[in-house]
Amino acid sequence: MSSESSLFGHCWLPLLLVAPLMLLIVLFFYVPVFQAFYWSFFLEQPFGGGSEFVGLQNFARVLSDPEFWMAGWRTIVFMLTASTLAVAVPLMLAIAADRKIGLSYAARNILVWPKGIAGAAIGVVFAFIFNPFVGLMAPLNALFPGLWNPGMDGTDAFVTLVAAHVWSGIPFNFVILLAGLRSIPPTMYQAAAMDGASPWRRIADVQLPLIMPQLFLTFVLEFTESITSVFALIDTMTGGGPGGSTTLLVYKIYIDGFRGFDLSGASTQTAILMVFVLLLAACQFVFLGRRINYER
Amino acid sequence: MTAIDTAIRATAADIELIGVTKAYDAKTTVIPPINVALRPGEFTVVLGPSGCGKSTLLQMIAGLERVSGGKIVIGGREVQDLEPKHRGCAMVFQNYALYPHMTVAENMAYSLKVAGVSKADRAQRVGVVAKMVGLADFLPRKPGQLSGGQRQRVAIGRAIIREPGVLLFDEPLSNLDAQLRHDMRVELADLHRRIGATSVFVTHDQVEAMTLADRILILNKGLIEQFDTPKAIYHHPASVFVAKFIGAPPMNILAVTGDGSALRLADGQVVANYADKGSFQLGIRPEDIAVNAGGSIKAEIRYREDLGSHEILETNIADQNLRITMPFGAEIDTEQTLSLSFPRARLHLFDSETGRAIHNAFDDAKTAPTFVKEYQ
Repeated sequence: MSSESSLFGHCWLPLLLVAPLMLLIVLFFYVPVFQAFYWSFFLEQPFGGGSEFVGLQNFARVLSDPEFWMAGWRTIVFMLTASTLAVAVPLMLAIAADRKIGLSYAARNILVWPKGIAGAAIGVVFAFIFNPFVGLMAPLNALFPGLWNPGMDGTDAFVTLVAAHVWSGIPFNFVILLAGLRSIPPTMYQAAAMDGASPWRRIADVQLPLIMPQLFLTFVLEFTESITSVFALIDTMTGGGPGGSTTLLVYKIYIDGFRGFDLSGASTQTAILMVFVLLLAACQFVFLGRRINYER
Repeated sequence: MTAIDTAIRATAADIELIGVTKAYDAKTTVIPPINVALRPGEFTVVLGPSGCGKSTLLQMIAGLERVSGGKIVIGGREVQDLEPKHRGCAMVFQNYALYPHMTVAENMAYSLKVAGVSKADRAQRVGVVAKMVGLADFLPRKPGQLSGGQRQRVAIGRAIIREPGVLLFDEPLSNLDAQLRHDMRVELADLHRRIGATSVFVTHDQVEAMTLADRILILNKGLIEQFDTPKAIYHHPASVFVAKFIGAPPMNILAVTGDGSALRLADGQVVANYADKGSFQLGIRPEDIAVNAGGSIKAEIRYREDLGSHEILETNIADQNLRITMPFGAEIDTEQTLSLSFPRARLHLFDSETGRAIHNAFDDAKTAPTFVKEYQ
C-alpha cells in the first residue's frame, strides 16, 4: 500500500470529508453527554430560566433515593439475564446452522430478518403475543387462571421484556457468531474427530474457543445494548409497570426528566449510568479481552 | 535414546481394503472398487496427481469420509462403519490443523485428555513425545509462535502420542520449503523406523514417495496403476502413466511401429529389434541413452539446459521430443546431429492402446522376474 500522503495530497481534504459525520456525532452525542454531566451539578428550572450551582447535592439526592437503587438493581438483573440469553440463543442457532442440519440454509436467511424491525414495533407485537387473554399463554391461563398476567405480575412483565429483547438481539448476534463458526477450517474438526472428540465435545473444546473474539464482541455490545435500547420495549409493552417492576434505570431517567421535569435528577442519573456502562466495557476489555486469542 | 525408543512404540496393524469404493452420486465415482493389502509396519506412499482420489482414500481409512461400498479391515477388524476414534488411526494434516488456542503440550495431549488419561500420565507421555519430535523446549508455546517446521512436528507428536497402529499422513510436507521438506523427510523416515506403525502417506511429490516408501501405490483417476517397491516402480513401470510420473526428468515415450523384425520410428529409423508387429510405445529414461558411442539413431539438438551437476539436452527425433541427461563435462556441439544408441536392457515397451507395460519384451534370456503386478 502506498503511503497516506500520496493518497491524500491535501491534509484538509480528509478532514472535510469526515466533517459531516463528525458534526452529527458531536451535535447529537458529545454535546448532550457533556450537557448531562454539566446539569448534574446544577439545579435546573423545569421550564428554563436561571440555574443554580449545587455541587454534589444532586448526587446525594439521587443516591439516597431507594427508587434509584431499585431501578439500578433491575437494570443489572435485566442486563445479566437478557444479554446472556441474547448471546446464548443465537449461539445455539448458529451452531445448528453451521452444522448444515435440515433447513439451515433457509433458517440462516429467516433469522436475519428481525434485524430490520424497530424496537417499538417489537414491543407492540410481543405485548400482543404475551397478552394473557389472546396471546400464546391464553390456553394455559384458561386451565390455570392467574398463571400468567404481565399486566398484574411484575415477574411476568419482566420475563416478557427479556423475551422481546432476546428475540430482537438474535439476528445481529446470529450473523456475527455464524461468521465466526464458518471461518473455522474444516480440518480442525477432522483433527478433533481423529483425537476422539465427540461432536458435543468439539463444541466445547474447538468451536467455542475459536469464536471467542466473536463471543466477546457480542457480549460487550449486548451488555451496553441491554441497558440502553430496552427503552423502546418498556415504553410500548409495560410502561414501567406493573408497580414499577419493569422500570429500569433508562426508563426511570425518561420518566423523571420528561414527565416529572426533574431535569437535574435525570441528568445526574444519566451521568451515573454512563459512567457505569463505561466502566463495564472497560472491565470487559481489561479482564476478558486480553485473554482472547485472535490467532487462527 | 533407548529409553525413548521403548516408550513410544506402536503395535502395527495391517490394513486391507476390499472392494472399497467412493461415489458422490450415480455419475461421479471418485474411486472405483479398490483392493489393496498393506502389511503391518509397512510405509506405503500413495502417489498420484491432484484429483486422483488419494486424499479421499486416506480419509476413508481414517473414517473422516464414508465408504460407498466395500470393507476396510484394520488389524483384523472391520472398521468401515466405525467412528474415527475407534479405528486406531492417527492423522497428520497438510495444514497442520493444530488447535490455535492450546499450547504445544495441550495440542499433543488432547487425544489423551479426551480418552480420560490422568494429568500426570499425560504430562509424562507429552514429555517423551516432545523429546522424540525435538520440541521439549517449546511445550508452553502456542502454535502461532512456532515456525512451519515446528508446527509440523507438533502435528506429528499429536499423532504418535496415542501409539496408534496406523499413522496417516495427508501431504504433510507440502507446506514447507524445500530445505525443510528434505530434513523432515529424513526425520519422518527415522521416526517410522522407531515407532513402527503402519504408515500411509499421501503425496503428489515423487521424491517423497521414492525416499520414504517401502512400497508406492500409484493412483490415477482412482485406479491403481502400480503398487510396488520404489525400485521396481522406477525400473519396471507397469504403465506409461507410471513411467512418466516417476523420474525427473520423466521417461521418454516414443511412438514406434513393429514390422516383425524391428521397432521403427515414424521416419523409418530402427531403434531396437523386436519380433512382434503393431504399434507400440517405447520408453527410455533420459539418463539411459548412450550418446556418440557408435549408435545409429540420429537426433537433432533443440535446446540445452546446464544444471551444473549435469546437462539436459532437448532433442528432436522423428518429430518427437527426446530428453537426454548428460554427465557434467560432456563435450557436445549444439550444432551437431547426435548419434544415439538405446541400450536394449534399458528399454521399456508399452501397449499403445492400453498403455500397460509388455513385460520382459527385451529380456532375451527370459529369466528376469516379473515385477509388475496387475490390479483390477
